[in-house]
Formats: sequence, C-alpha cells, structure tokens
Amino acid sequence: MQKFFSNRKLVIVIVCLIIAFGMMTASVSLRNRRNTPFIVQQFGNDIVGFADRIVATPMNGIHGGFVSIQNLLNTYQENQQLKSKVDQLAQTQARDQVLTQENTQLKRQLNIGNTLTGYQKVNAAVITRTPSSWASQIIINKGSSAGVQKNMPVVAGPGLIGTVVEVNKTNSKVVLISNTAENSNRFAIQILTSSSVVNGIVSSYDSSSNSIVMGNITSKANIKVGDKVTTSGLGGVIPKGIYVGQVSQVTSDDYGLTKKVNIKPAADLNDIEAVTVAVKG
Amino acid sequence: MTTVFIIGLFLAFFLDGSISQMFSGVFYSYPNSMVPYLTMLWLILTLYFVDFKKLHIELWAAIIGFLFDMYYTGILGIYLFAFPLVVYICRKIYNALPQNFLSGFLVYFLGITILVGLGYFANDFIGLTNTSVSVFLVNILAPTLAINLIFFLIFYFPIDSLYMSRRR
Repeated sequence: MQKFFSNRKLVIVIVCLIIAFGMMTASVSLRNRRNTPFIVQQFGNDIVGFADRIVATPMNGIHGGFVSIQNLLNTYQENQQLKSKVDQLAQTQARDQVLTQENTQLKRQLNIGNTLTGYQKVNAAVITRTPSSWASQIIINKGSSAGVQKNMPVVAGPGLIGTVVEVNKTNSKVVLISNTAENSNRFAIQILTSSSVVNGIVSSYDSSSNSIVMGNITSKANIKVGDKVTTSGLGGVIPKGIYVGQVSQVTSDDYGLTKKVNIKPAADLNDIEAVTVAVKG
Repeated sequence: MTTVFIIGLFLAFFLDGSISQMFSGVFYSYPNSMVPYLTMLWLILTLYFVDFKKLHIELWAAIIGFLFDMYYTGILGIYLFAFPLVVYICRKIYNALPQNFLSGFLVYFLGITILVGLGYFANDFIGLTNTSVSVFLVNILAPTLAINLIFFLIFYFPIDSLYMSRRR
C-alpha cells in the first residue's frame, strides 16, 4: 500500500479522473436545473464568442459565396417551380390576413389577450457549430440581452430546428432536433389531420431515416402521410403553431397497442446560416 | 515563437467550429460523423517542431481544452483533461522514436484515436450518447481518423516551414 501511494503519477491520474467525472456530472445536472450557467462561465463564453466572430465571419462569408454560386446554377429550374407556387401563395396570404384580422377582432370582443400562438421573433446568425459527434449543437449570436431564454424554440427557414439549451449574455447554444441524447427533444407537438388534431410529445430522433419520432399515440384519428405537424404550445415556453414538418410514416409500435409516427422535419438541419428564436409574448 | 503558437492555437480552435459549420452537410451526414480536431493538430505539430522545454505545452493544452468544453459543448471536464493527456502521451512516444514525418504521422494517428476514444467513454458515462462500440468504431472513429490524417498531410509541411522561418 505504501508503494502504491508513493507513485506520484498514479495519484495524479486518479485525482484528475475524479475531478473530471465530478465536473462532468456537475455540469450536466446544473445544465438541467439552472436557467443560465454560472456568471464566470457566462463571461468566458461571451469573450470567446466575441473572438470567434473574427474568425467565423470571414469563414461564413466564404461559405456564403459558394452557396450563392450553387444557387445561381439552379436558378432556372427553381424559377419554373416557384412560378407555379406563387399564385397559390398570394391567395393563401390574402386569406391568412383576413383570418388574422377576424381573429384579433373576435379576441377583442371576447376580451382575450395573448393566447398560445402569440410570439415575437428574435433574429440571430449562426456563429459556429460544436465539433463533436455526440452533440448536434450550434452557437448563435444572440443571448439573454436580446431576450433569449432557455428552452425557447429556434426556427430556421421553413420550420423548427431545435431549442435553446444554454444562454449567455451575447450568445447561446441551440440543440438541434437531430440530437439523439436521452435528455433532449421533449417538446409538445400536434398533428393536424383532415378531421381532428392529435397531440403528443417528440419521443426520439431516428437518424437513419432523418426524422423525428412521435411515439405512444393512442388516438383513433386517421393520420395520413403528408399531414402537417406543428408545436402545440402545451407545457412550457414553446408557443403554438410553429411548423415542424410533415408526417412521413405511420407504424404501430412493437406491441401493436399504440401508433408511432415519423415526422420529416421541414428545415434542412445541415445547412443553417440564420435562425429565428421565437420569444413567447 | 510563443506568440505564433498562441495565435495559431486560438485560430485552430475557432476553425474547428467554423469548418464543422461550413461542411456540416458533409461531415455529419448519417451514418458517418467526421470531427475536425485542428486544435489537437496544432498542439502536436508544435510538439514536433518546437523545443517544448520553453513552452508549457501541456498547460496550454489544458487551457484550450477548458475553453473547448466551455464554449463548444457546455459540459466541463472532458477535453480539459483529454487534451493534456494526449499531448503528454504523444510527446513520450515521439521522443522514443526516430523523429521524422512517418513516426510523426503514426503518433498523431494514435493521439487522435485516444482523444476520440476518451470523448466517447466520457459521453457514454454521463449518458449523452447511447452509440454502441461497433458503431463508434466504424462510423465515428474511422471517418474522424481519416479526415484528421488528411489535415495532417496538408498542414505538416506548411507548419514546419512556418516554425522554421520564425526560428531564424
């Protein structure tokens, strides 16, 4: 025993191991409990984030250049496709406006203030992405000083891409819905079928088919492929009516008692440049 | 010399994230996952080319590892210890070998393997991943090694000449 402890290197290694595991478990549990990290960590992250912009901005600029060239090559085809959609869009927009107006009028009559659908938008740019196989995380350039809070939904382009997981003063981390860790992705969504609405929770992410899985559905409603899925606004800071994606597959679970629905996310999770954080009003 | 090292260290640190962001469609497309570790490359190449007695390279590895944990993942304590450990192991092995390009390549191969392996076991321990060992070996370790060895081939000689020019 005497000889064992006299070995200085071994003691150092063991002490380091204990500290490492202690720090890891502590930071995981703190992250689940606290709304913002400790002030020291926050301050450090703000400084690093600021320095990162010096490197990230030109890099993202170069990337933007390549993407524009690529877009230019696809322009003709895209134009043809889009032309056919524009007429439809104008109609929908007009109808949308009328409905929104009607909605606010009715709300005023009934004396209802903000409902679950009300939210403001905070636009942010993506600074960088976590270089790791385990965490699908991006870092955006808006933080608590812009009104961002933990667990807020983040939208890019057509639909939801993830939720805010850590907020610093001037930057925050966003966990993408493609993250497969056990403790992420538990937000409430609803499927809008032709006849009714089916509520549920995201249960996991299926990376082989690149889709969100919504499990344990006992509803008898007829869910079809192509039905639209939005957030349901139930339970927490995520507002109602943020578009998530479309149903891509409906199967029954392993025991045949409940249904399992695969949802194709609307946003491309691997090409995100600018995002919008939905701040619940 | 120290200034060059520190500037390069932070540049490599930020490039890790920027490259991941730029090529996320290529690097993180299912089922493979390639993670660039330019920070590690910079540390190990410095170890090869610079007389490390003047430079506390393990200390710098710990500092940059701490920033890596804090800024990128938010889980403290993984790279804070993994970076210095890998640098230490690589130094010991490299000093025991004849010092040339090939041995440097092999030591770097070993270093990245240890680094990625440590990252996997740490994340497995705290429950942030449930990837099986076989999937880890084939779809994560192998592509990550491939991309990092390509970076090694690209950057070995430029960084060698960079340090050489500063030495004079």
